[in-house]
Amino acid sequence: MNSRSITFRLVAWYAGSLAAIFVLLCALLYLDLRHFLENDRRQAQARRARQIANTLLIHVKQTGEAYVASQTKDWYEPEISDRFIRITRADGSLVYVSGAPKDGSFDPAEVPPLPAESHAEFYRKLDLSNGKTLIDAALNFKSAGNPGYLVEFGELLDPVEAMLDRLFLQLALGLPLAVGIITVGGFLLVRRALAPVEQITRAAESITLHNLSERLPVARTGDELERLSTALNRMIARLDDAFKNSKRFVADASHELRTPLTILRGELETLAETPHLNPELSERVASLLEEAIHLSKIVEQLLTLSRLDAGEAQSDWAALDLADLAKTTAEQMSLLAEDKDISLVCEAGQPVPVEGDRVRLKQVVVNLLDNAIKYTPQKGAIKLSVHAVNRDAVLEVEDNGVGIARQALPHVFDRFYRADQSSSADGKGTGLGLSIVKAICIAHSAEVEAVSVPSVGSRFRVVLPLFKN
Amino acid sequence: MRILLVEDEKKVADIIERGLKAERFAVDICHNGRDGWQMANTYDYDLLILDLMLPEMSGTEILEKVRRKNQSVPILILTARDGMADKVKNFESGADDYLTKPFAFAELLVRVKALLRRGPVNRSSLLRVGDLEIDRLSQNVRRAGKKIELTAKEYGLLEYLATHPGRVFSRTMIIEHVWDQSFQGLTNIVDVYVRHLREKVDDPFTTKLLRTVRGVGYSLSDEVPA
Repeated sequence: MNSRSITFRLVAWYAGSLAAIFVLLCALLYLDLRHFLENDRRQAQARRARQIANTLLIHVKQTGEAYVASQTKDWYEPEISDRFIRITRADGSLVYVSGAPKDGSFDPAEVPPLPAESHAEFYRKLDLSNGKTLIDAALNFKSAGNPGYLVEFGELLDPVEAMLDRLFLQLALGLPLAVGIITVGGFLLVRRALAPVEQITRAAESITLHNLSERLPVARTGDELERLSTALNRMIARLDDAFKNSKRFVADASHELRTPLTILRGELETLAETPHLNPELSERVASLLEEAIHLSKIVEQLLTLSRLDAGEAQSDWAALDLADLAKTTAEQMSLLAEDKDISLVCEAGQPVPVEGDRVRLKQVVVNLLDNAIKYTPQKGAIKLSVHAVNRDAVLEVEDNGVGIARQALPHVFDRFYRADQSSSADGKGTGLGLSIVKAICIAHSAEVEAVSVPSVGSRFRVVLPLFKN
Repeated sequence: MRILLVEDEKKVADIIERGLKAERFAVDICHNGRDGWQMANTYDYDLLILDLMLPEMSGTEILEKVRRKNQSVPILILTARDGMADKVKNFESGADDYLTKPFAFAELLVRVKALLRRGPVNRSSLLRVGDLEIDRLSQNVRRAGKKIELTAKEYGLLEYLATHPGRVFSRTMIIEHVWDQSFQGLTNIVDVYVRHLREKVDDPFTTKLLRTVRGVGYSLSDEVPA
C-alpha cells in the first residue's frame, strides 16, 4: 500500500495514538495495582506484628520470653505458611526466629538483623538470593518494665507477583490484538469513506481532450465529496469552454485568412501571367506569390490540426495494411531521396493490419519520410520499417542525418517548433509537419516518439494497436 | 457559355470574373444569396459557381433549391471551410465539384471546363504537344519519333500536363492528381519529378516543352514564350 495515501496515514495516526493511550493506561493500571497490593501486604504484616506485641509481649513479664516464642510459633505456624517471624531484644539478642519454611521457599538466615531504629513501625523490602522478594514489617515494642523488643513479621511477595505477572501477560497479549482490530476496523471505515474519491479519480483520469464534454459522477450525499466533484465538474466545464473557444478560434482564423489569401493569390497570378512584364517586376511578383503560397500552406496545415484536435479523423475509418501503405509511400517518395543520393530502404515483409484513416496514416509516413530526407545529408541512409510486435504495429523511420539536440528533442512535436534555426533544410517547411504527425497519432490512439543522437541520426517510432478481426 | 457566380467577397468575385471573361465566358455576378437564387431561377445557366457563406441565403440553400427544381446544371462550390462533414453534405445536396479557398485560378478554370465538358477532358488516346507524342493506351512516350522511358509517376505527371497544353498547373493541382491528398504540403516532390522529367524529355532536344511559371506552377507547351 502507498505509504502516502490518506487511508494509510489516517489509519496509522489513529492506530498509533490509540496504541499509545492504551499502553499508558495499562502501565498506570499495572503500577497502581502493584503499589496497592504491596501496601496491602505490608499493612497485614504490620497488623500481625502488632498482634504479637499487643497480645504476647505485653505480658512477657508474667509469661516469660519462652512462652511468647512458643505461642507465636503455634499461632502463626511460620514454617508451614511460609512466614518469617523474628523477635529480638533491644540489644539485638534473639528471642525467637522462625525456621526455614517446609517448601524451602526462602532461608530465614538471609534476612539481616535490623539496625536499632527509633521509629515505632517500619517496613523493608528484601531481594533474596533465590530471586524472590520478602516484605518485612518491623515494630519497636516498648512498655514499662521491659527492655523493649523488635518484632518482625515477613512474608514472600510471591502471590502478588504471580498475579501481577499474569496481568502483565494478559495486557501484553491483549494490547496488540486490540490495536490490530482497531487498525483493520479503521482501515475498512476509511476505505469506505474514501471509496467515492477513488471513483472520482478514475472518472477524472478517463477524461481527456477528446471527451471533455463528459462529467464526473456526482453522488448527492451533501458531503465534502459532492462539493469536490461538483467543483471539479465546473472546472472541466471551464476547460471544455476554453478548449472549444481556442479550437473555434483557430478554425475561424484560418477561414478568415483564406478569403484574403484567395484574393492575394488571384491578383498576383493575374499579374505574373501578364505578357511582356518588366523582368524585375516579374521576379518580385513571383517571390510574392511564393510567400502567398507558403502562407496558404500554413493556414491549410493549421486547419488540418484544428480538425484533428476536434476529432474529425474518424470520418474515413477502415482496416488497412500498414506495411503495404509504407511500401507504396516509400516508392512514391524514392525520387526525393535519390535526388539527394540518399538510400531509402523499406523493410515491410509481412502484412500489418491496422485500423484508421488511410489518407491520414499515409500523411504520417509522408511527413516522417520528408522530415528524414530533409535532415539527412547527401549520400545518407534512411530506413523505413513496419513490424507487428505483440499486439502493436510498429512503424519506424530511422536516418543517419544531423540528428536532434537533446534539449530540442522534447519539443520536436510542438507546433511551429524548429529544432535547428539555422538548418541546412530549404527553410520552406511550415514547422507543422511533425505536429500533424502527432495529432494524427493521437486520433489513432497511437504513440509517437523520437530518439536522436546529434550527428549520428534520429529514429521516429509510431506504435499503434493491431487490427483484430 | 454563361456562368452565374454567387460570391459575396467582391474582390474574389472580381478576380474570377476577369479570369473567366478572358476565357470568353459570359459571367453574371451576385453578391448575396437571395439575388443569386433569383438569377439562377430566372435564367438558364451552363454552370453555377456558389460560395457557401453568403448573406441572406447560404450557398447550400441555393444548391438545394436549384436541385429541387431538378436542374441538371453543373454546380461548383467554393468555400473557405473544408470540413469533411461540409463536403459530404454538399455533395449529397447535389454539388458537382468542390474547391477550397485559397485556390489557383488555373485550378478553378480546369474544374469549370471539366464541368462544362468543353476541351479539358481530352479523351483521345493520343496526346500531342509539338513533337511530343503520348499514347495513353500503351503509355508510350515518343519525342521526334524517339522512344522515351519514363517511370509510372513521371508518365502520370507528363500526361496530366499534356491534357491542357499551355495551361499552367499549380503544384497543389499536380499533387492532387498525380499523387494524393497525403502529399499535400510536400510541393517540392513536384519540383524533383519535373526536373527528372526534363532530363528525359527536354534536355536531349533544342525546343524546351516543360515551362516553369515561378510562383504559379508548371506547364507543357510548344509555343514560344512571350
